[in-house]
Amino acid sequence: MAESPRRDEIPPGTLYMLILKMLARHGQLHGYEIANAIQQVSGDVLQVEEGSLYPALQRMLLKGWVTAEWGVTAGNRRARYYQLTAPGRRQLLAEVDQYQRVNGAIHKILQTV
Amino acid sequence: MTWIREFWRQLRYRLSGARFDQDLAEEMRLHLDLRAADKQADGLAPDAARAAARRQFGNAAQLQESSREAWGWALLDSTRQDIRYSLRTMAANPGFTATAVLSLALGIGANTAIFSILNAVVLRSLPVEDPQRLVQVRPGPDGDDVFTNPIWEQVRDRQQAFSGTLAYSPKAFDVADGGDSHYVNGLWVSGDFFRVLGVPAIQGRVFTRDEDRRGTPPLAVISYRFWKRNFGGESGVVGKTVRLDRHTFEIVGVTPPWFRGLDNDWGFDVAIPIACDPIFHPGRNALDERSQWWLRILGRLPAGESIEQARDRMKAIAPDVFRATIPQDLPAEAQKGYLQNSFFLKPASTGFSEMGMQYRTVLYTMMAIVGLVLLIACANIANLLLARATARQREFSVRLAIGAGRARVIRQLMTESLLLAAFGSAAGLLLASWGGRLLIHLLATTHNPLDIDLSLDSRVLAFTIGAAILTALLFGLAPAFRAAGAELNQVMKENPAAAARASGRFNLGKAMVAGQVALSLVLLVAAGLFLGTLRNLWTVDTGFTRHNVLVIAADGEQAAIPLGQSANTYREILDRLRALPGVTAAATALLTPLNPEGWAQPVSPEGMAPGSAGDTLMFFNRVSPGYFATLRTLLLLGRDFDDRDTLKSPRVMIVNESAARQFFGAANPIGKTIGLGPRTPDNAVFQIVGVVKDTKYNRIDEPDRRIGYFAAGQDMEPPPRIQFTLRSDIPVETLVPAARAAILGVNRGIALQFRSLETQVNESLLQPRIVALLSSVFGSLALLLAMVGLYGVTSYAVTRRKGEIAIRMALGAARGSVVRLMLRDVVVLLALGMAAGLAASLAAGRLVASLLFGVQPRDPVQLAGAVVVLAAATAVAAYLPARRAARLDPMAALREE
Repeated sequence: MAESPRRDEIPPGTLYMLILKMLARHGQLHGYEIANAIQQVSGDVLQVEEGSLYPALQRMLLKGWVTAEWGVTAGNRRARYYQLTAPGRRQLLAEVDQYQRVNGAIHKILQTV
Repeated sequence: MTWIREFWRQLRYRLSGARFDQDLAEEMRLHLDLRAADKQADGLAPDAARAAARRQFGNAAQLQESSREAWGWALLDSTRQDIRYSLRTMAANPGFTATAVLSLALGIGANTAIFSILNAVVLRSLPVEDPQRLVQVRPGPDGDDVFTNPIWEQVRDRQQAFSGTLAYSPKAFDVADGGDSHYVNGLWVSGDFFRVLGVPAIQGRVFTRDEDRRGTPPLAVISYRFWKRNFGGESGVVGKTVRLDRHTFEIVGVTPPWFRGLDNDWGFDVAIPIACDPIFHPGRNALDERSQWWLRILGRLPAGESIEQARDRMKAIAPDVFRATIPQDLPAEAQKGYLQNSFFLKPASTGFSEMGMQYRTVLYTMMAIVGLVLLIACANIANLLLARATARQREFSVRLAIGAGRARVIRQLMTESLLLAAFGSAAGLLLASWGGRLLIHLLATTHNPLDIDLSLDSRVLAFTIGAAILTALLFGLAPAFRAAGAELNQVMKENPAAAARASGRFNLGKAMVAGQVALSLVLLVAAGLFLGTLRNLWTVDTGFTRHNVLVIAADGEQAAIPLGQSANTYREILDRLRALPGVTAAATALLTPLNPEGWAQPVSPEGMAPGSAGDTLMFFNRVSPGYFATLRTLLLLGRDFDDRDTLKSPRVMIVNESAARQFFGAANPIGKTIGLGPRTPDNAVFQIVGVVKDTKYNRIDEPDRRIGYFAAGQDMEPPPRIQFTLRSDIPVETLVPAARAAILGVNRGIALQFRSLETQVNESLLQPRIVALLSSVFGSLALLLAMVGLYGVTSYAVTRRKGEIAIRMALGAARGSVVRLMLRDVVVLLALGMAAGLAASLAAGRLVASLLFGVQPRDPVQLAGAVVVLAAATAVAAYLPARRAARLDPMAALREE
């Protein structure tokens, strides 16, 4: 078994933002594709406890940020495909904006020391 | 409004129900499969790949759970679980469940029944348009609330305080054409009555201002109930006629089913215009009668105006109204008083109710009594639950140990309590609808045929639900907290009995039993007081013998008796009645005893200085010869009236003892005179020819009054209404057909009502009888519940201390000392409970003083009686388990430990 590279947990509260971002980039994805996309794009640094995607997706459905539709995968299996809605897009902008503000502030603090 | 959208989405998803789980599971399965396939492609063995995928995924079951939680399903699910679990627990303990549900059903049912009556007669708003804006115009802040027709016409035409005014008066009309009367509930109404109330017609039309004109034709608006009952609800009822007191009225309309009139205990059948009054009294014009006070006046406040503004406007027109309607025949002094009259306003949104006024104290007392019974029932159930919580402590400890939150355990137990309460109140509602009707039926008399709408409304429903929740909290909360608060390790380690010993559950149970004892004592004292009242009332010497007397109320007003002939007609009827087989004595009387009607006026006895009006007030009756013999009222001095007392002979009077004593002291009253009103040459003077024993006049609990009797033969204007009294040596009921035939043989048009004097007496005792009945029933119930509670607590103590008892017995303790040991706790408990109960009884006694007769709320004998009954009953309840303890086989018990 190959030793996996060091992976960091996703900072709390950013999971929604990552999912929204992936959906914004790729359009329609099912759960497994979202998990893979996050890992690949982050160069395998960020790791999601993959199952935790699903409660998060349900919450996002409830808030109306995404919609879901059943479709068929390349392997011919039934899968639920998620897609961003207009409120989801606004939410993504807001979260990114907030993240960058906080991050920028933390960055400044770290530089001054 | 994002939360609305969120809620809507939630609802939609929720409706898709079980599919949610399947979808989520499928999604997760796909993920695991794909991940495993990836791993396999990386070179892992199939099994290892699958395990790695699962590791990376996390706890699928928990994730699924938290996905469900996202939709707020967790609460719903766990509630459903709780309910299912509770139902199973309840089914597993059918004895406990039945006891709890039954006692709650009785408690909540009794409360709901009394409340629904209170609601119907005191609390509920009239079902008319905007009842909050209806106000009543009154001549004073309290007391009489009616006016004369001239005053009403003035108010109607002058007032600017209201957007509409109405007047009405209830009256029973006879729909039979002679013979046995058949009464319907009638209303005199002003033309605007229905319009101001906002009551439309569902057939035909309602009255208009046109019907206020003098000489309006005889028209009637009938109620939905009357339409259904007497016309079968046929559509062509408009134009048909109805006979009222021998006059024909044409029906112009039918009111909707929800409108029953303005009196809560008098649902109307027929309404006719006030202006139709002359039809019934062709001789005199009651509409211009300035001394006949009979109409209630109501007004509707205009939008945005307060009752104070309306009152000021009404007060402003009062002097003009009363000046214009002054009764000319009144003495100057009284005229001045008349002009002082003014108008007072009172909200009228809840309508009017004789019963509400008459029975208000009774209803509130009953409400308190059934409330206490419910409390006692709650204490019992709480005690049972406490015992059960102790028994189930292991179960809860296990649940707590494997991670259930305390809140969760409490919720589970509260669900059980709420379910019990829900079942109890559902059964209670059924009981209440039956019990409420039964109570009304018991309270109704011929004089007051209570006709009350007890249908369930939102207020009664809210009361029942509130009672259910409150009781569940009362009996469920303490046991639930006790169960959830048990110390984990202790319970897990030791055996349940030992754990129970350590917990303090017994003190709480004891406190509750002491409380039960206290409340039961209050109820027993109340029952004793009310029973004593009833006994005193039964044994009051009424001054007449109530058995075997038939009273026939005869009304010849519409019987076409020629003017001046009524005296002869009634004398002829009396002769025929006297000749009936079985009749031993017969007489006529204007009034019979223990009826609400009366006749009183000030008199001037010979030789007495004119004092205050109260000192010389005398009550009167007018009777024929033989009246005292018929009622078996003793003639103490002088003679009875006889046929020589006529219009031409000197005026005579018979007085009762009280009048003789108070007016003439020890002197012989025979031959002395009494004048009506002040002694002026105009006023009549009567010579006393006889003295009779005191009799009760209006009420059985009244102090003896001064009563004077006039001779029927000296009546200048014999009234159309009269009562025949017949004493017989056969059952009075069998006398009715012959008596009816005899009377109708003289005149077919006379309206009749038959009643025995005994019934009349009984009906006058109705309220104390009902109060005594209900308070004894509920008092016994409370006693029973307290016994059960005490029995339970003592039994539990015996079980708990089995080991200790066994050791004591093994060491040689006698059985008697074991019983004493077990009872020592109980005695303390009883003493505490009774002390509290006595204090509460003394405090509560004052509140019911107005319902008592001949007993004092603080009467030591009454209190001691209640204490003895309670002590005896509870001693039995505690002794039984204590004796069981004494019969314990020490060896067997010790081995068990």
